[in-house]
Amino acid sequence: MKRLILIPLFVCLACSGSFASDIESRVKAMEDILKKQQQMIDAQQKVIEQLKGELEATAKKQETLTVAEKPASPGTGPKPSGASALFGGSFMTNPYISFILDTNFYSSSINERELANRGIPGYSNLGFEQKKGFNLTAGELFLFAPVDPYFNLYATIPFTENGASIEEAFFLTTDLPQGFQVKGGKFKSNFSRLNAQHPHTWDFADLPLAYRAFLGGEGLIEKGAQLTYLPGLPFYTILGMEVLQGENEVIFNKNATGGPHGFTGFVKQSIDVGDYSTLLFGPYAMGGQTRTTTVANGAFFRGNSQLYGFEAVYKWKPSKYKSLIIQGEYMVRKQDGTLSNALGAASGLTRAQDGAYVQALYQVDRWRFGARYDRLSIFNSEYDLGGVDRQFGPAPWRATGAVELNLSEFSRLRLQYNYDRSGGDGKTNNEVYLQLILGIGAHSAHAF
Amino acid sequence: MRRTAPISLIIVLLFMGSASAGINVVATLPWIGSMVAEVGRDKINVTVLVRPGQDPHMVEARPSMVLASRKADMIAYNGLDLEIGYLPILIESSRNPAIQPGKAGNFDCSRFVSVLEKPASVDRSMGDVHPLGNPHYHLSPRNMKSIVVGIARGLGEVDPANAAFYRANGTSLVKMIEERQKMWTNKPLKGKKYLTYHKFFEYLASEYGFEIVGYIEAKPGIPPSSGHIEGLMELSKRVRLDGILTTSSSPRKAPDFIAGRTGLKVIMLPQDVGAVPGAVDWFSLMDLIIAALS
Repeated sequence: MKRLILIPLFVCLACSGSFASDIESRVKAMEDILKKQQQMIDAQQKVIEQLKGELEATAKKQETLTVAEKPASPGTGPKPSGASALFGGSFMTNPYISFILDTNFYSSSINERELANRGIPGYSNLGFEQKKGFNLTAGELFLFAPVDPYFNLYATIPFTENGASIEEAFFLTTDLPQGFQVKGGKFKSNFSRLNAQHPHTWDFADLPLAYRAFLGGEGLIEKGAQLTYLPGLPFYTILGMEVLQGENEVIFNKNATGGPHGFTGFVKQSIDVGDYSTLLFGPYAMGGQTRTTTVANGAFFRGNSQLYGFEAVYKWKPSKYKSLIIQGEYMVRKQDGTLSNALGAASGLTRAQDGAYVQALYQVDRWRFGARYDRLSIFNSEYDLGGVDRQFGPAPWRATGAVELNLSEFSRLRLQYNYDRSGGDGKTNNEVYLQLILGIGAHSAHAF
Repeated sequence: MRRTAPISLIIVLLFMGSASAGINVVATLPWIGSMVAEVGRDKINVTVLVRPGQDPHMVEARPSMVLASRKADMIAYNGLDLEIGYLPILIESSRNPAIQPGKAGNFDCSRFVSVLEKPASVDRSMGDVHPLGNPHYHLSPRNMKSIVVGIARGLGEVDPANAAFYRANGTSLVKMIEERQKMWTNKPLKGKKYLTYHKFFEYLASEYGFEIVGYIEAKPGIPPSSGHIEGLMELSKRVRLDGILTTSSSPRKAPDFIAGRTGLKVIMLPQDVGAVPGAVDWFSLMDLIIAALS
């Protein structure tokens, strides 16, 4: 690898070496160039001064800014912007700061105590944390700034009623050569399509069942390090791997010590279809050591897990006023280990289960309509406990419809309905969310 | 030997990005790409990210754009926060040290511009106001002259071997702009009054002495209410207007409605190079716009 990087370096050195002989004439030429440039700059300055005068004159003529024909506020005369700010944007002495309020009103056809205990039998015993009525999901503080020419730093600090936490705090390298980038700290893993997205940017109020069943309701947020590589191929291909502490309570070990013991790898590829359509797809895999109490109530599982998956996204965005996103993922999780009950009796458990979702979002002007279908146990529903295959009734599934009103880029009002048949008890959970998300502060750029 | 050929080819592909000669420039907007191409000619390859009919504020950072930025020696952009929704993420995800902020390959055209409408104070209740001033400065020949000089200098920094070539092209382009300006300033635009949908034409107005007396958008990025449209129609009774200016990236409904009720004509102006078949470069874009106004 090192050698490959050195070869072009040698070539460059060799080229520059050939000029050393006539260095004097080159310096002279450079001086001439500098003189000419100086003359040009002076001429420019004159143009700008002249411009200033003329424009101040027109500014005095006052621009009519509104129908009410208010005069423009004074001091709107032109100023050459001079020095460039970060990304041609606002000056950056302080970090970019934004604050996002994520709040909802929730109702369900099932009572609250049942909701808290309503897991997905055979998958996970984690219930719902949503309370009926008004909920404050979080007030999220987001910080970003370049550290120096080598690192960018991001932090996401959600404030909840129970205090603040560091959801993410990570650096990204900006100066590594050859398309490499390192991320480190605490971050949302980039292994799948939805995992790295913040809750306020989700397409629905909740994550698909497969995420809930295999990773818990928040996905995979871990301390660790990530290496990604973007080769200069004819089409977009990104390769990534992560080494994670492995503290996720569903697939790893909540009380992880002697880590790291979580690992992920992913490939994402993309091609454009015409001017306005984009395809993104790729496989991913993760694995690690598991110690969890989320398999079933009163039982402790120790063993190993692997999860394999595939993501695919199609986006069509011909203009600001119209877009269509169709997206789906398939995941299969395999686990192998022992399950011991409260009395300490242990038996071998092997699970191989899968899940998928497919969703579509259609935006027209300020409205967006969403539909999603989720399902578990599609091709795989193996649950082998002590040599006996157990089944947990019909396959868990859910259907979702949502409508959003996005009055500006900084506010979102969403009404969502879930027809949820994932409780394994034959009961339907009819859920309704009315969600309001508001953001103030810096305008963050949107990842694809 | 035969074995090594494909291997070295792969190495070239992986480490040189694109195998074609010349430096690679990525431009966010069509006019930037077009101007950079005029200055760089055959010494550079230009990739333009935003399509002519797209609203330059609201663009998706497509992976293909990340890939183009990864292979670029220079990224040239409009600045003044116009591309704030996608440019920072493109630059960061490009994993390309050459185009990071502060490097010669990070070229912000707005550095060479005198900015209009820099507000003394801004908050978002005013809509999507640009705190750094109006970013649609490319229809101003005066600004374009200093931008062209800037581009020539910027290309020279990235590719010193051809610096003189770029400078010569820059100089002749400035001359061309001055030639055309004589023609454009002779057009009878002074004193005309228009409504516009979005603040696209303020620089043009200030340079050619026509006035924009009302906006169909209630606030930048916020669509009009019926009361606002009523107000505009009232205005058109009091003030003699010469038409309604709009572009293909703005909605047609409200301008057409007002036109239907007041008898004003809607003048569709191309907002960028390539937006209409005739606008092949910045010069023909300006020709078309000035012709449509006069």
